[in-house]
Amino acid sequence: MKDKKDLLRDDKQHKVLSDEHEISESIINHSRSMISVINRNYIYEKANLTFCNAHNITPDQIVGRSLSDIWGTLTFCEFIKKNIDLCFSGETVKYEASFETPGYGRRYFEVTFRPLSVSSKEITHLIAETFDIEESKRRELEIKDKEEELRTFETKLPIGIVRCSPDGQIIHANKAFLDIMDCYNAYSIRKTNLKSFYLQPDLFDIHCEQLLEKHSVTLGRVSMKDCEGNEISCRISGYLSFDETGTLPILDFVVEDATRELMLENRLIQAHKLETIGALAGGIAHDFNNILTTISGYSELLMEDLPPDSDTSEKVGRIQSAVLRAKSIINQILTFSRQFEQEKIAVSVAEVLKETLDFIKSSIPSNIEVQSNILQNDIKVLADPTQLFRVFINLMTNAIQAMEEKGGILSVKMELVEGKLLQHQINKNIVADEYVLMIFKDTGKGMEPAILGRIFEPFFTTREVGQGTGLGLAVTYGIISEMEGEILVSSKRDEGSEFYVYLPVSRNDKQIESFKGIRKKILFIAGNKHESRMLSMALENTGYDLLYISDRQGFARSVSNTGDLPELIIYMTDSKLVKPEDFLIIFQQAKIYTPCVIITNQSYSIFEEKLLNSGIVKQHLIKPVSLKEIRNAIQLSIIKLD
Amino acid sequence: MPRVLIIEDDMELREMIKTSLIRRKYTVLEAENGKEALSHFKPSTTDLVVTDLIMPEEDGLKVIMKLRELKPALKIIAISGGGKAGPGGYLNLAKALGANAVLSKPFSINDLILKIEELLALEQQN
Repeated sequence: MKDKKDLLRDDKQHKVLSDEHEISESIINHSRSMISVINRNYIYEKANLTFCNAHNITPDQIVGRSLSDIWGTLTFCEFIKKNIDLCFSGETVKYEASFETPGYGRRYFEVTFRPLSVSSKEITHLIAETFDIEESKRRELEIKDKEEELRTFETKLPIGIVRCSPDGQIIHANKAFLDIMDCYNAYSIRKTNLKSFYLQPDLFDIHCEQLLEKHSVTLGRVSMKDCEGNEISCRISGYLSFDETGTLPILDFVVEDATRELMLENRLIQAHKLETIGALAGGIAHDFNNILTTISGYSELLMEDLPPDSDTSEKVGRIQSAVLRAKSIINQILTFSRQFEQEKIAVSVAEVLKETLDFIKSSIPSNIEVQSNILQNDIKVLADPTQLFRVFINLMTNAIQAMEEKGGILSVKMELVEGKLLQHQINKNIVADEYVLMIFKDTGKGMEPAILGRIFEPFFTTREVGQGTGLGLAVTYGIISEMEGEILVSSKRDEGSEFYVYLPVSRNDKQIESFKGIRKKILFIAGNKHESRMLSMALENTGYDLLYISDRQGFARSVSNTGDLPELIIYMTDSKLVKPEDFLIIFQQAKIYTPCVIITNQSYSIFEEKLLNSGIVKQHLIKPVSLKEIRNAIQLSIIKLD
Repeated sequence: MPRVLIIEDDMELREMIKTSLIRRKYTVLEAENGKEALSHFKPSTTDLVVTDLIMPEEDGLKVIMKLRELKPALKIIAISGGGKAGPGGYLNLAKALGANAVLSKPFSINDLILKIEELLALEQQN
């Protein structure tokens, strides 16, 4: 029997217990987590208020309800059941999942199942605690998104970013860096040292020193070589940072490809330089032309005073020849400086190119192969065909000379390109929508960049003194510029050179009206058939009928038929068909007075000299001759008195 | 004998042309530049003008235009040694402005004389 005191104590104890129970209940009920007790039959035996609120039910209503009833059979079977089974095997199971409750909607939760043994050692229940982690999950995803965004940004940025250890070992490089360095293996780059990309590795050490001292440095343009060994130019800035521990320095570099920029800059500098030289040379040439006119004039006057065939008159004749040679050089300088008037007509590029190729092939060394791909015949440009012929001859001759020792392949290609493409390449305004591009490629000895930058300067030559004037490429440059075209070069030592010639396509389909008057007959003896074709192309529609002479007999016949004499004879003295000595004999035997235009090379034989001094020569021109010069010579020779 | 005016700033060249023309019995007048030529030009006593194009003071192209105004029937030969003004160059411009013939330097003096004779013969025919 308990006495009253005991009862009172029991009562008090009960009261304490019940208070403690109430407190615990209250703590559990107001926890932010949903807490429930689940038995082995997947039935809820208890749940706190947070759980009940989430499911819009009262604590009494949850008791006896199954999990599949509360969460739906599908969710239960697919996600919950396996974790509960695992927990009943004795493990505490923790996982994250997003699910929906009627009270809170869809949110992210962290779920923990803890095994619970009430009286025996056997696990009879488990405690499920579901904690709302929506906020932290959202933040985590946001950070992930940001990281992804940054990664994409870094990947897509056309600027190279590379992170190195202080000794230059690459830790990380973005895609742009790999692209700039022409490297396709992102893994292998991590084993590389940034220093190895420097053309002058010592410079890298200096850069590192500067960085360690100043923390952030614009290092400027650096010559580098990419993974393929090509020389490139990069603009580099560096920043110093430290690793997580704050002690180990890390070097970050921003690398921009400045190769194109450098190329454009160099082109601009080169163009300015050539313009300056051109203006200077043009000015000098102008003065020299005055002086030459005086010299040639007085020597002509002297000639009149002297008995013909005398020693002195021969000497004066030499003065006149010297004047002509000087004139030829000045004309070339004027062509380079674009101060030489060009007479332009619509010419088929393919025709001139094919003609030049035929000409070149006839004299090419056997160790050089010529490959050509010339298709479009109908592409026309505005040009003096004789000048265009010169451009092609100069480029092909140079290519052949570059391959003289070891042999090789000269390839000539022709294609159409959009003006926009050229504009992008040279960063300059262009004049036509369409350009015809000719590529002359050789596999010869190539050129160093220092030489490459000067090849268009007049009198610049790498050949020995006396071998070539150093005017070929200068003249080529002048002719192309005058046609509003462009010439670009790329070259590599021991690999060869490529010349790209762009000429604006003439879309003016209007045909030049053919000459209607009485046509004058000109007898033409050319050095070779290519030159004669060039000239006939040039003199088309000008009122002259060109009559070609194919041999000595033919020439004799044409000048002996007094009923049908030509108005003029144009004779290139290097012709294999009629030699200068034969020409003079035949001409003198025929006893005719037809004016002659003689075209010689820079230097000439005694026979040629005799011919020039014979008095039958009306005009003497020195190769190379332009269409303008030939027309002038024709006009000056055929004096109209009617 | 016909009277020829030579306008050329290069003294030696002018002298050479003058000597050659006097030898062929022409009466020669000289001017060092366009301005001097225009101030002394007398239409009635000049038959033909040989003018340089690039000169100090008044340049040759202006001289040609003004001479054409002063004497429409005047024969003009332009001579030039390069330089470029517009498409076709100075000589083509000179032709467009009314020069009867053009010669580019260096030219043969005999060619110049033949041109002069040709132009003056034409005038006589007319």
